[in-house]
Amino acid sequence: MSDEALLAGMAAGDADAMAAFVRRHQGRVYGLALSVVGVPAIAEEVAQEAFVRAWRHAGNYDARKAQASTWLLTITRNVAIDVLRVRRELAVEPAVVAEMLISPTNDSDRVADSERITAALRALPREQAMAVLLSVHFGLTAREISEKEQIPLGTAKTRIRTGLSRLRAMLEVSHG
Amino acid sequence: MVDPTRCGDVADALAEVATGAASGPDRARVLAHLADCPDCRRELEELTRVADEVLLVAPEHDPPAGFEGAVLARIAALTAEPGAPAVPAAPPPPPAESEPDPVVTALRPRRWQRVLPYAAAAAVAGLVGAGLVWQATSEERDVAASYRETLDVANGRYFHAAPIVDDGGTQVGHVFLYQGEPSWVFTVLDDTVDPGAYEVVVTTEDWSEPVAELEVDGSGGGAGATVDADIYQIERVELVGAGGATFTADLSGDSPP
Repeated sequence: MSDEALLAGMAAGDADAMAAFVRRHQGRVYGLALSVVGVPAIAEEVAQEAFVRAWRHAGNYDARKAQASTWLLTITRNVAIDVLRVRRELAVEPAVVAEMLISPTNDSDRVADSERITAALRALPREQAMAVLLSVHFGLTAREISEKEQIPLGTAKTRIRTGLSRLRAMLEVSHG
Repeated sequence: MVDPTRCGDVADALAEVATGAASGPDRARVLAHLADCPDCRRELEELTRVADEVLLVAPEHDPPAGFEGAVLARIAALTAEPGAPAVPAAPPPPPAESEPDPVVTALRPRRWQRVLPYAAAAAVAGLVGAGLVWQATSEERDVAASYRETLDVANGRYFHAAPIVDDGGTQVGHVFLYQGEPSWVFTVLDDTVDPGAYEVVVTTEDWSEPVAELEVDGSGGGAGATVDADIYQIERVELVGAGGATFTADLSGDSPP
């Protein structure tokens, strides 16, 4: 059954659809949560909360705008980075984790549909890839990135914007 | 016609809205610009797609045993509430999950689909015991996601904004309203008002209710909530300070564009 069908079932209150959706995506959701918060017990709480929110908002999902997996991961990321903002001790080294996320040493754990974006991030200048990952993955603002990386605020903003724009160009080419 | 220099002014903040990291005031500033700028709306939509795809790089990990059951138990507890949508049988909840989740319980759809200040209070109260604390920005981010969705759905046609003024008629902020599923209201106060908490009260012809609490610090602040109303039904949005100061956006003479 497609993700879209499962989400439609969830919106109608179908627990079987919800169970199937959780089984299909739990590894990915938990993996993302763990990569952001770093502590298994907290990652589990984050992942649970993400699925509860997916259930609550299933009726708003629009397949024309996003794949179900990216929609769900966006929810997960939002929950996770809000935990980070309260429990700052968890965010020990976001830059180190960001490096690991696109490191070739992690390729064996990579999900097939991430190959395109991983290759594009690797093709960016390192500082732009890091700025994009810190902003997207950890929810760091340009100001926070400028402080962590000890660079001017304007430079941090430019890296995020330029990095995203270049990614878009690369992904468009690979689509074509 | 949109002034191209204004597009340049919001370009950096636009990228941060796409990544989800933008601050509330930055989000409001960008969204106010988007109302008049189809080019930037398209830019935001494209950059958001790219940013969301970046999340795919995280590796998979199997969660601990019992994860699926714990999720279904939380949902089953929620649906046990009166008036909640029915969900068929789920596995029995383990002891730690046997109570309705206070975060989501506080957010059950009713007249207001989400009530940010109460969500924040319930979140802190409910999850400290579990060793986990959320904060208000979580819901704010959800609202921000609704901005994007609503703009996509309505193509910005039903975006509306109005000044918030004090008793003397001096502008102290903005209210932004979006028609969609859900509709929502977002208020921003600038740094000229006294710091502190302000209750956001929405009034239509039929009812008047607090929907959010806006926390103003030295640089201003913003807060919003989804509402179960069409925006053209909203006659007035007031921000009521703890000290009694009231700021008002009068929408009674407005109609949706």
